[in-house]
Amino acid sequence: MAQHNLGTVISFEFVRTVTKLRFWIGTLSVPVIMAVVFGMIFLSNTSTSTAAEAQKNAQFSISYTDASGLITPADAAAFGAVPAASSDAGIQDVRSGAVEAYFEFPAHPESAAVKVYGADRGLFENGKYAAVAQAMLARAVAVRIGSPQLSGLAAGSAQVETVTYQGSEVAGGMNSVIPPMAFLVVFYGLVVLLAGQMLNSTLEEKENRVTEMILTTLKPTTLITGKVLALFMVGLVQVAVFASPILIGGLFYRDALSIPAFEFSQLVFDPLRMTVGFLILVGGFALFTTTLVAIGAVMPTAKEAGNFMGVMIALIFIPFYSVSLVISEPHSPIVQVFTYFPFSAPVTALLRNAFGSLGVLEAAMVIAILYVGAAVMLRLAVRLFQYGSISYTSKVSIRTALKAGSRHAVAGPAEK
Amino acid sequence: MDEPVVHISGFRMDFADTTVVRDLSFDVRAGETFGFLGSNGSGKTTTIRALLGLYEPTAGVLHINGRPFKPEHGSRLGYLPEERGLYKKEKVMDVMTYFGRLKGMDRHSARQWSLAYLDRVDLSGKAATQVDKLSSGEQQKVQLGVTIMNRPELLILDEPTKGFDPVNRRLLMDIIAEQKNDGATVVMVTHQMEEVERLCDRIILLKDGTSEAYGTIDEVQNKYGGRVVRIRHTGPIPPSPHYEVTLEETNYAELSITDDTDEAAILRELMDAGMVIRSFTTTKISMEDIFIRVYGEHNESPSPAPGRLAATRGA
Repeated sequence: MAQHNLGTVISFEFVRTVTKLRFWIGTLSVPVIMAVVFGMIFLSNTSTSTAAEAQKNAQFSISYTDASGLITPADAAAFGAVPAASSDAGIQDVRSGAVEAYFEFPAHPESAAVKVYGADRGLFENGKYAAVAQAMLARAVAVRIGSPQLSGLAAGSAQVETVTYQGSEVAGGMNSVIPPMAFLVVFYGLVVLLAGQMLNSTLEEKENRVTEMILTTLKPTTLITGKVLALFMVGLVQVAVFASPILIGGLFYRDALSIPAFEFSQLVFDPLRMTVGFLILVGGFALFTTTLVAIGAVMPTAKEAGNFMGVMIALIFIPFYSVSLVISEPHSPIVQVFTYFPFSAPVTALLRNAFGSLGVLEAAMVIAILYVGAAVMLRLAVRLFQYGSISYTSKVSIRTALKAGSRHAVAGPAEK
Repeated sequence: MDEPVVHISGFRMDFADTTVVRDLSFDVRAGETFGFLGSNGSGKTTTIRALLGLYEPTAGVLHINGRPFKPEHGSRLGYLPEERGLYKKEKVMDVMTYFGRLKGMDRHSARQWSLAYLDRVDLSGKAATQVDKLSSGEQQKVQLGVTIMNRPELLILDEPTKGFDPVNRRLLMDIIAEQKNDGATVVMVTHQMEEVERLCDRIILLKDGTSEAYGTIDEVQNKYGGRVVRIRHTGPIPPSPHYEVTLEETNYAELSITDDTDEAAILRELMDAGMVIRSFTTTKISMEDIFIRVYGEHNESPSPAPGRLAATRGA
C-alpha cells in the first residue's frame, strides 16, 4: 500500500506540475531567451564576418606615406593606393575629397600606430579604413618573409597541445573536469529553479487545508518522499529543457554561433569522479529539499516562508566567493570548513571533485554527511509537517513539534 | 459482544498548561451512527484528531478496530475534517482520482466512481473544472465525495453540514444515511440537533473536556427529564416536587417532569391549585433544549435548525 501510494504521490505531484501552463511559460522562457540571444549572435557574427570581408576587400581611393619602407609600390597597387607627397598633403586630400582615405605608416609600425585618415562614412563603415591599412601592412610583411607558413607562425597562429601524466596514465586535463562539473551545474539548476516549489510543496497542503485528509490517508513520510522525488524529476525536465538550446547549438550550429571547436569524444569520464559527483548531487539535492520542506511545514504562509529561501540560496553561492581558493588551495582551513559544512558541502565538494582535489576518503565523508543530514532533515520535515501543518494559522515552534512525539509533552496548536 | 469500531478510554489531552480533554471514555459500535456533541472548545475536534493520530494524546487509549489508527493499516476510513480544503488549482476529477487511488482504488474505478458521484450531486459538468472555480457549496460536495470514496467502513464527519444550504444539507444527510445503510459506522460531530435526533443511534455530550451525557437519544433525554409538559393557562404555577418550570411566559409554560409521576397526575395537581388550563400537551425534551440546558443560554447555542441559519464554529 505504502509503495503504491508513493508512486501515486510522485505521479500526481509530477503530472500536475508539468501540465501547468505557468510551468512551461517559466521553463521555456529560459531557452527561448537563449535562442533569441544565439540568434542575435548568429546574425551578428554573420554580419561581422561579412563586413570584415567587405572591409578588407573594400575598394576606395587611398593615398599613403610609408616611413618604414615595408610597403612596396606593388603592395600598394594591389589595394589601389597611391603615394601621397607628405602627411599634410595626404590629410588635405582627404579633407578636400580628392581621396577617401590616407594611411600614414610610421617608421616602426611594430611599436608605433599606423595613422588612418578617412572621410566619415558612419561608425561601422569607418572600420574599413583600419581593416585595409592592416591588410596592406600584413601583405607587405608576408611578401618580405617570402613564406606563407612562416608568415602564419609569425602571426601567432601556432597551435599547442599539452599532454600530462598521472603516473603512467595520460591525465585528462580540462577534458576530465567538464563531465563531473556537469553535476555542479545540474545541482545549481535544480536548487535555484526548484527552491520555491520545494518550499511551497507542503505549504500548499497547509494553506489549502488538505493536511488532515492527506495525513489520514497516507503516511507523512510517503507524502514528503513522494514530493521530493517528484520535484527531482521536475527539475531534471527543466534542466533538460534549459540545456536543449546549448546542445542543439553546439551540435548543429557550432560555426554559425562561433562556439569553440570541441570534440565530445575527447571528454574523459573518470568512473570514480562521476560516481562521487552523482552521489553528491543526489545527497545535496535531498538535503536542500528536505530542509526547505521542513521550513515550509513550520511557516503558516508562503510569504513568511519565502524569507528563508533567500538564506538557503545564499548558502550555495557562498563557496563561489572563494572559488579560486577551492581550486588552488583545497586543503586550506576555509575550504575544509566549506567542504564539510552540510549546506556548503555540495557546491564545494562538487567543485573539488571536478578539479580532482577531493580525495576518496574526503568524498566518502562528504557523501555520508549529506545523506545523514538529508535523512535527519527528512525525519524533521515529516515531524514538523505532521504536527505543524494542522496548525493552520500560526508558526509552529520546532521544539513543540519535536516534543509532540512524547506522550507527556504535547504543546498547543492554534486550534483545539 | 462485538469489539467496538472506536474505543476511547481514559483519554486526556493537554496543550501546554491547558487541559482540553480530561478522562474521556466512550465506544462506537459497528454500524451505528454516533453523535459527538459539545459546545465550541469542548474538545470534540481534538478528540477526533487524536483518534486519527494527528495529535499525540497526553494519556489514554484511542483505538479504531482494536488498535491505534495509522493510515498504512489500510482500514477504509472516510474523514471529513472541520477544516475543509482540496487542492484548489487542480481539476475536480484529478483531485478525486488522486484520493481514490490513495484509498486503494485503481485509476479507472476511481474515475468511474467520481463521474457517478458528480452526476448524483449535480456536478456532472464540473469534472474538468478547477476546484477554486467552484462555489463553496460545490467544493463541499466534492470533498464529501472524496470522503466517501472506496466505501468507507468508518465515516468521521466533523460538522458535515457546515456551509451547506438547506437543499444540499438534505442531500448530504441522504448520502450519509445511504452510507449507514451500506454498513458504514458513522461518527458525526455536529451542532445541528435536528440531525442528531433524525440520524443518531447514540450520542455523547462533551462539556469541559469530559462526558456530560452518553447513551441513546432516549437515555439522554430521560437523563434530562425526558418528558416536558407544555401548558397554556391562567393563574400562578404552584411549586411541586414532580416537575420544574423550565420556561414561563405570559399564559404559557413548560414543565420538565422530574420523576415517574404520570401526566394526568400533573394536570390534576395544577387544576387543584386553582389554575385554569386551556391546553395541556406532553412531549419529550428536545436535544436542542438539552443542549441549551447543558451549556447554558449564555454559553453556546446549538445551530438553529435548517431555515434558521446561524454561524457555527468548531469545537
